[in-house]
Amino acid sequence: MKKWIVFMLTMVTAMSLTACGGASDSGSDTKTSSDAKTESDSGASDESDVEYVKGKGTLVVGITDFEPMDYKEDGDEWIGFDADMAKAFGESLGVDVEFVEIDWDNKIMELEGKTIDCVWNGMTLTDEVTSSMECSNAYCNNAQVVIVPADVADKYQDTESLSDLSFAAEAGSAGEAAINDLELECTPVKTQADALMEVKAGTSDAAVIDSLMAAAMVGEGTSYAELTYTCGLNDEEYGVGFRKGSDLAKALNDFFASSYADGSMMECAEKYGVQAAIIEQ
Amino acid sequence: MGQIMEQMPIVVSALNVGFIQTLKLFFVTLIGAFPLGLIIAFGSMSRFRPLSYFSKFVVWIIRGTPLMIQLLIIYYFPGLVLHNPIWGGGEAGRFLAASFSFILNYACYFSEIYRGGIQGVPVGQEEAGLVLGMTRSQIFFKITLLQMIKRIVPPMSNEIITLVKDTSLARIIALQEIIWAGQAFMKGSHGISGAIWPLFFTAVYYLIFNGILTLLLGRLERKLDYFR
Repeated sequence: MKKWIVFMLTMVTAMSLTACGGASDSGSDTKTSSDAKTESDSGASDESDVEYVKGKGTLVVGITDFEPMDYKEDGDEWIGFDADMAKAFGESLGVDVEFVEIDWDNKIMELEGKTIDCVWNGMTLTDEVTSSMECSNAYCNNAQVVIVPADVADKYQDTESLSDLSFAAEAGSAGEAAINDLELECTPVKTQADALMEVKAGTSDAAVIDSLMAAAMVGEGTSYAELTYTCGLNDEEYGVGFRKGSDLAKALNDFFASSYADGSMMECAEKYGVQAAIIEQ
Repeated sequence: MGQIMEQMPIVVSALNVGFIQTLKLFFVTLIGAFPLGLIIAFGSMSRFRPLSYFSKFVVWIIRGTPLMIQLLIIYYFPGLVLHNPIWGGGEAGRFLAASFSFILNYACYFSEIYRGGIQGVPVGQEEAGLVLGMTRSQIFFKITLLQMIKRIVPPMSNEIITLVKDTSLARIIALQEIIWAGQAFMKGSHGISGAIWPLFFTAVYYLIFNGILTLLLGRLERKLDYFR
């Protein structure tokens, strides 16, 4: 009798285990999974992502805490230029907007796995991003800047002077790409903030992060008071990313165009001090 | 230093929110993994070969792969491969997926500790029970299990303390536990940006909590000292 109970219990556990075992099987079998993927991709363009989002009534926006784009000031509500625009976009579609903080490294997995519907967080339109996501038109300008300790900043005001420095930059970021283009030594780190810590700790001579962030993070009143930013490396643009093949990108482009035309986009930008960087739609 | 004192109340309240997530994951994992581990241990010790091979296979898979990969697979695979994001994108879904991964992972480690504990009870104890006319289930619950519990407290304490720290791995699927909360201040959160110290300060929470656990587990070990 006891043996049977043990056996039954173990089988129940076994069933729940095989459930995820099955998932990894189909993952290793690339043929099946890629077949399934093509089906779903064509399915997505047939059914339309706009309808999918309207059907469930919520647009799930993947973000990170990034002032002035998406951040919290008091209480629980997400504000910022991107957050406010996302709310307005959700309103135009007639759906609720839910903000979810994600791990930036996993943004494409989050999108494809449908745990989020878009990435809207001051995302630089790099080749990696545009080839793996359906992107909206660029809506904001940004630049990558070099961060060095303030006491040596005078020596590093142009790109030629940077050749003997060792750099730190966020893995997969536009900053890392800019350093690689200049064929300089670069240590990839997990976040832009980690790159700053490398410079402060002296483990790297300089870091490359984006200018909006540099303005908020270094200098007086931060833990990086002894750091400063010098030259800009390349200009870049921000866009919003959707699932590959999604028609939400077009819907957002239309929304950007109309809100730029009626001035509500600039009004929102002025509220967060980013009006100088906005791109005409 | 003055700046840190100014930031302290904001940082502490944010870290507290993160630490509550850490604690929730810790307790849910323990509650789920204690019984599941026992079931897997029975499976591994079963005389029914296919069952014991299967249990050992599962333990091999779970102990043989990093918990971080298991978290990624369990959270993202349903959406990526089966096209059905069963966990959903919200915080509740991430917590469920993390709990599932942690329970499965820790149950496998616990099962081996249980097995060692049960098999370490001398056969003489079971024979004595038989002589006294006890049934097999009486022998298990009144003799073997009691002595097993006493034997496994030190190795289990080890795993439990490791679990407190392992919960930080759940940040890979964006579960906002205490390390996540601490790291947020580096980039900017709650109006403080570029602050490094909150990340290091999270260690204090782990230390204090593990200190309390160590005391409690030590007391439990002394209480169970009745067989000698």
